[in-house]
Amino acid sequence: MSRPILLTGLGTVGAYGCGAESLRRTLAAADPASQLAEVDRSAGYHRTHGARRAFLLGSTRLGEWLTAGEARRMSPPSKLAVAAARMALRCAGLADGEFEATSVSLATAFGPSSASEALLKQILCEGPESTSPFYFTESVANAPAAQIAILCRARGPSVTVCQREAGQLIALGQAAGDVAAGKVPRALAGVVEEMTPLLHALLDRFGALAEEVARPFDRRRDGFVAAEGATLVVLEPEETALARGGRPLARVLAWGSAFDPTAPRTGWGSGPGQLGRALRRSLERAGLEIGAIDRIVSGASGSVDGDRLEAAFLRAAWGDRPLPPVLVPKATVGEYGGGFLGAAVLAAAGAPFGPTPGFAEPDPELGIIPYDGAALPPPSIVLVTSLAAGGAAAWLVLGAPGS
Amino acid sequence: MSGLGWGVEPLWEGLRAGRSAIGPFDRFDHRLHRTHVAAEAGEAPEDLARIPGWDRLSVADRFAVAAAVEAVRQAGLTLPFDERLAGEVGVFFGSSTGGMWEAEGFFGSFLNARRRARLRRLASHQVNAPGDALARHLGVTGPVSTVSSACASGALALGAALDAVRSGTVEVALAGGSDSLCQLTYAGFNALRSVDESPCRPFRAGRAGLSIGEGAAVLVLEPLQRALDRGAAPLALLAGAGASCDAHHMTAPDPSGAGAAAALEAALRDAGLDPAEIDFVNAHGTGTPLNDAAEWNALQRVFGARAAELPVTATKALLGHLLGSAGAIEAVATVLCLRHGELHPVPSGEPPVSGETAETDPVPVALVLDRPLPLPSARAAVSTSLAFGGSNAALVFSRWIASNGAA
Repeated sequence: MSRPILLTGLGTVGAYGCGAESLRRTLAAADPASQLAEVDRSAGYHRTHGARRAFLLGSTRLGEWLTAGEARRMSPPSKLAVAAARMALRCAGLADGEFEATSVSLATAFGPSSASEALLKQILCEGPESTSPFYFTESVANAPAAQIAILCRARGPSVTVCQREAGQLIALGQAAGDVAAGKVPRALAGVVEEMTPLLHALLDRFGALAEEVARPFDRRRDGFVAAEGATLVVLEPEETALARGGRPLARVLAWGSAFDPTAPRTGWGSGPGQLGRALRRSLERAGLEIGAIDRIVSGASGSVDGDRLEAAFLRAAWGDRPLPPVLVPKATVGEYGGGFLGAAVLAAAGAPFGPTPGFAEPDPELGIIPYDGAALPPPSIVLVTSLAAGGAAAWLVLGAPGS
Repeated sequence: MSGLGWGVEPLWEGLRAGRSAIGPFDRFDHRLHRTHVAAEAGEAPEDLARIPGWDRLSVADRFAVAAAVEAVRQAGLTLPFDERLAGEVGVFFGSSTGGMWEAEGFFGSFLNARRRARLRRLASHQVNAPGDALARHLGVTGPVSTVSSACASGALALGAALDAVRSGTVEVALAGGSDSLCQLTYAGFNALRSVDESPCRPFRAGRAGLSIGEGAAVLVLEPLQRALDRGAAPLALLAGAGASCDAHHMTAPDPSGAGAAAALEAALRDAGLDPAEIDFVNAHGTGTPLNDAAEWNALQRVFGARAAELPVTATKALLGHLLGSAGAIEAVATVLCLRHGELHPVPSGEPPVSGETAETDPVPVALVLDRPLPLPSARAAVSTSLAFGGSNAALVFSRWIASNGAA
């Protein structure tokens, strides 16, 4: 970053409830079973066997964050995104009228799935004349970002990034870059995802989902647990944030991304070496030593191939050095939905994590033992990684708020 | 590539001739749809069909790969990329629907009869698929990211690429977008009554909506000195990029044009140019009554009284609206206009709005009509993209003139 960028607000909503405090408690408890819900299989999309559960919002109420009139005009992901944005702005201590030139940079892996499904049903099953303007408008990937802009009066650039699991770090990194370059005074950045029965069934048919629970880096891992939700953060230059009395949660020190062209369209590749070199190169460009990283928030999810690549990527980057403690929040909050991003911010802010749920049997091929719950000092520099199916990879380096 | 053909040459020939690619199409059965025209791409040339894995790519993926291969060849870069470029080539892409057309085939089967649907048809469903496909095909190992901000995606991707090149994140950026015709967008825009039953007529008095097209465009961006050092002949300079959001409405633009003007002004600031230094505009110009009126207001905000005299072209009149790749192919059209020193025309049977009708339909831009407008001394131009959700983007290109005066 060409100048210090602070992360001053965090808003998040997921199966853990609304707000950073709910997520903090969930990460400390590390008890995913209490958050999991049965996916509605009544439409018949699912296989007879296979994954049955996901991290769903269920009865989570957004009434504090959305009026009934606003909610009526929005699809589920738009509601989640707007609610998380308003939480982040409140967390940052920003008042109405301070958002004018704010940019919105939002990631989504699959876009507004329920609106797209409803629209396709209308077009393909009932005929194109049945097409609903509402569903079409809300089916576009940038609908949630647009709703944030409209309701928060954010007139800076509005960008939606779609790069599967890597998108959230790319969106945050690009937004931080824009703030650092002085293009915008402030940015809202993050991720949103909804997990519909159809999307869940399709992920299951692709063999991506764990049958019961996620077991990142474990020898018995068989996939990830899907999640829905949203996380947004507020990014500001240090001088303006501190001048207005903003309270930093973390600092954005660097970010980067790369691509593994050996990856198939729906899977992970076999190029950890070049990804590791790319990580090291981006750290060097930011003037950071890999040895200074004292915590990793890994994007490992329990995916058989994804965790294998993640482990080899980290090993390639660290070489002979021992890895710092590796936190794996997707074991607790699932894949997609923003819990991972929120957890990364909380990790940098020094929040306590419980032991990695689901991990019991180390995989000798991977050689990574995720965090076991032992007492740790707050981190100084946190590396956040996310490797995506299809080949993309991204990472973010966060500094502790007081660093 | 576009409805005018596969490659830059047929694109420029068609644009210069004012030939419209919009007409009857065969991609899907549209008898039950409200309208019946689009700008559909023809069959791929045989040499492209020999690319390994071509059959497994979605239509949008094929467009992206084809455009990227042509762009890389044209730039004089060798494939596979030199080892010294490992990690230094990035892809910055835009798409609105990715492999939706193929996904519609899957969903049609799946929603009716679960087990008979072929899951493989979903493999390129996601909007990041075209950018990933070209990265995979070219062996790109640097950053790859896809913007999906509806009709501003392509221009926003070019802006992200410009940032990456300027900051030294990459040495070479492949930037562009790709989208293919599909029922979802065709029916969706029709549901909004935003599609003209005839080929679209941007800025004309009788305009009644857009026409949907398909295609892809990829531009190779690199620092000027790097390009010169390796003996490349720059086509143009991407001088600046700007973006904004109307924060006004999900589908309607802010009628005041303030948001679009903010993007234009940001792009000009980024380029270090004064509005007076802009010689022409490649307008977003969809042909919808609301868009063109808002865009005219934006041009007046930025260019003042000069807005009525500033030459304007609207590539969508000939190619249709390429949605997530519109900003990219219109960037290519803008570069071609600068290079050739002439602005491509926007022919139509109907007259442009005249001063007399300004009260009812005030979009009196200086639209280039039936033949190309010679602009041999044009040095700089802007291309605008205005999207669903009020997302606006603008790009400023300037003509490359070598130290010996050659363009």
